[in-house]
Amino acid sequence: MPEVGQIALLILAIVLFAAGGALSLARLQSEAPRLRLAAKACLYWGVLVALAVLVWHAARRGNWRPLGDNFDTLIWLGLLLALFVLYTQRVHPLRGLDWFVLPISILLLIFAAIFGRATPHEYVDSTWSWVHRVSAYGGAVAFAIAGAVGGMFLLSSRRLRTRRLAPGPNLGSLERLERLTLAWVTLGFPLLTIGLITGLVRALDPRVHDSLGPHWYATPKVVLAFAVWVVYALVLHSPINPVFRGRKAAVLSVFGFLLMIGTIVATEFMKQ
Amino acid sequence: MQRLLLLGLNHTTAPLEVREKLAFNNAQRRAAIEAFLARFHGCEAVLLSTCNRVELYVGRDAHGAPAVEEMSRFLSEFHGLQQAAFQEHLYLKTDRAVIEHLFAVASSLDSMVLGETQILGQVRDAYETSLQLSATGPSLNPLFQRAVAVGKRVLTETALAEGRISVASVAVDYAQRIFEHFGDKTVLCIGAGKMAILALKGFEALSPRELLVCNRDPDKAIALAQRFRGRAVPFVDLPDHLVSADIVVSSTGSQQPIITRELFEGLRRRRRYRPVFLIDIAVPRDIEQEVSQIENVYLYNLDDLQQVVAGTQSQRREAIDAARAIVTRHVEEFAVWHRQREMGPVIDRLYRRYHRLAQEELTRTLGKTEGISQPDRAQLEEMTRRIVNKLLHTPVHTLRRSERLGTPTAQSVHALEKLFWLDEHEENCAAEPDEGDAAPQTPRQDGA
Repeated sequence: MPEVGQIALLILAIVLFAAGGALSLARLQSEAPRLRLAAKACLYWGVLVALAVLVWHAARRGNWRPLGDNFDTLIWLGLLLALFVLYTQRVHPLRGLDWFVLPISILLLIFAAIFGRATPHEYVDSTWSWVHRVSAYGGAVAFAIAGAVGGMFLLSSRRLRTRRLAPGPNLGSLERLERLTLAWVTLGFPLLTIGLITGLVRALDPRVHDSLGPHWYATPKVVLAFAVWVVYALVLHSPINPVFRGRKAAVLSVFGFLLMIGTIVATEFMKQ
Repeated sequence: MQRLLLLGLNHTTAPLEVREKLAFNNAQRRAAIEAFLARFHGCEAVLLSTCNRVELYVGRDAHGAPAVEEMSRFLSEFHGLQQAAFQEHLYLKTDRAVIEHLFAVASSLDSMVLGETQILGQVRDAYETSLQLSATGPSLNPLFQRAVAVGKRVLTETALAEGRISVASVAVDYAQRIFEHFGDKTVLCIGAGKMAILALKGFEALSPRELLVCNRDPDKAIALAQRFRGRAVPFVDLPDHLVSADIVVSSTGSQQPIITRELFEGLRRRRRYRPVFLIDIAVPRDIEQEVSQIENVYLYNLDDLQQVVAGTQSQRREAIDAARAIVTRHVEEFAVWHRQREMGPVIDRLYRRYHRLAQEELTRTLGKTEGISQPDRAQLEEMTRRIVNKLLHTPVHTLRRSERLGTPTAQSVHALEKLFWLDEHEENCAAEPDEGDAAPQTPRQDGA
């Protein structure tokens, strides 16, 4: 159970991420270097504060293994996304990436504050369960990035097709955005597959099986997770079947990500 | 008395699909001028046709042919178009407005891309074509010569052409928004005109894997390909080259689209649905607009690219103001010169006629009077001359100020010719009224 202090610190991290995102958006109006530096500073501080929450929570819990409970898992997801933004902007900048990724990160941190109070069951500590969580949530991070980049592709493609002088920076070439989408789907798909297999193994565990009931395979979490797998299988198919390339792949990656959000929500609401 | 007329349309009044229907290539322009002169004898004509405008400049007698309606009909008939298809996009300018417009056009102040240098050459070409066909004379020769000189001054004395983003550079920028790497891309250039060369210069800098030049004239294709270290390919194999191309620059003189939606739809599977950047800088367009509806196809025509360029113009406000000042000054100078040139012969005729009448009356009076000494005779002659000058001073002064008073010079001159019987033909034919005729009695001005 997260303490009030941890929740308060988490809210500070959310505020810092939101401020960083807002300052970055403000650069649409002004190219002042101060805005860029302030946005970056907010993001760095947000990452540090979120990391502090994780350390505090792990120390309190006495278990340093990540993804031990919902609170810690959702913060990790949000943190990894923010770190991805910082890494990309440093190594190979992509203007506007933070506008698309940071909202997801903020959403995950808000989820952590709301759903993080759920108490994990004892089977969460099993190796299968941990592998399931790591792979499934690892896949979710990859798909979140693929979805965000897919959104950037759609916006950029629309701007190019309508030939309008839309405000805002060049969001990166369509070729790069498509390549990034495919790369993250390629990474996320095996992780999700492992997550599904380990989830299946876990569902067959009598302790979990009894808890989920006889129709566990028809629960929203399982159905949505399978739908996500099918959608990303189609995206991954695009190099072989080019009908799915370009806009279609981007639409599918955004759609798959929305399903993924649905899966996470379903996971938090359904019985463990 | 000559009158200047301009009937035309441009990028601000007509969309590309209207402009391309009225556009003239070089051969058509010559044919049009010849047909125009054959139909309207004695007038002067220059036809300026560029990507952004079609303008017919005419110099003719104040009440001669062609009328505006006839000019419009001529354009319609030449292209086999309904007048209604372009009528609403036309603008008409006369006299001083023609001077203002042409000077602004030659200085590229009326261009979509301010400061572009091509328009000056196009104005010169249009004028020279008419000159060769003896379609210019005392009205259009000085007008176009001065317009070209003003255009040169603006481009050399202001920074209007500096820091300008060209259409070619915008095309390259947009290509970089679609593609990340160019080492594995093929650029196909269809046509070998000036615009194609400018675009190829930009794309050559991106070091594409292959640069193909496709033209109906293989010699031109080879020459252009050699210049850009590319490969000339036969025009008949165009569909095959469209399959391998990632970027297509098209600028042919074709009157019909050479890349249709049907053609491109048929190639998508062979292209493996790869994205393609199509740049159509031809007028009339080479690529059907419907091609842009195909997925992963990014089609830009000249207007699209020019609008992007035009969006950057606010940054060059100072240069634009300086250019406008030069144009305004030269318009004023030319208008004064033009007015004087038009009025001079009329005023001259006016004075000559009334001095002659006064001289005749004086001679008649002196013939009836005896004993007038030579000095007195000289005094009377001088007095008569001064009276005529004073009487004519007001109408001449009003005529010279007519433009400022809001009446076109041509209209005032015409009125003067009619009121004072200055038309040369009428002057010769008209009999002078005798004393007994119903000539109005003018009040004596000496107050007696």
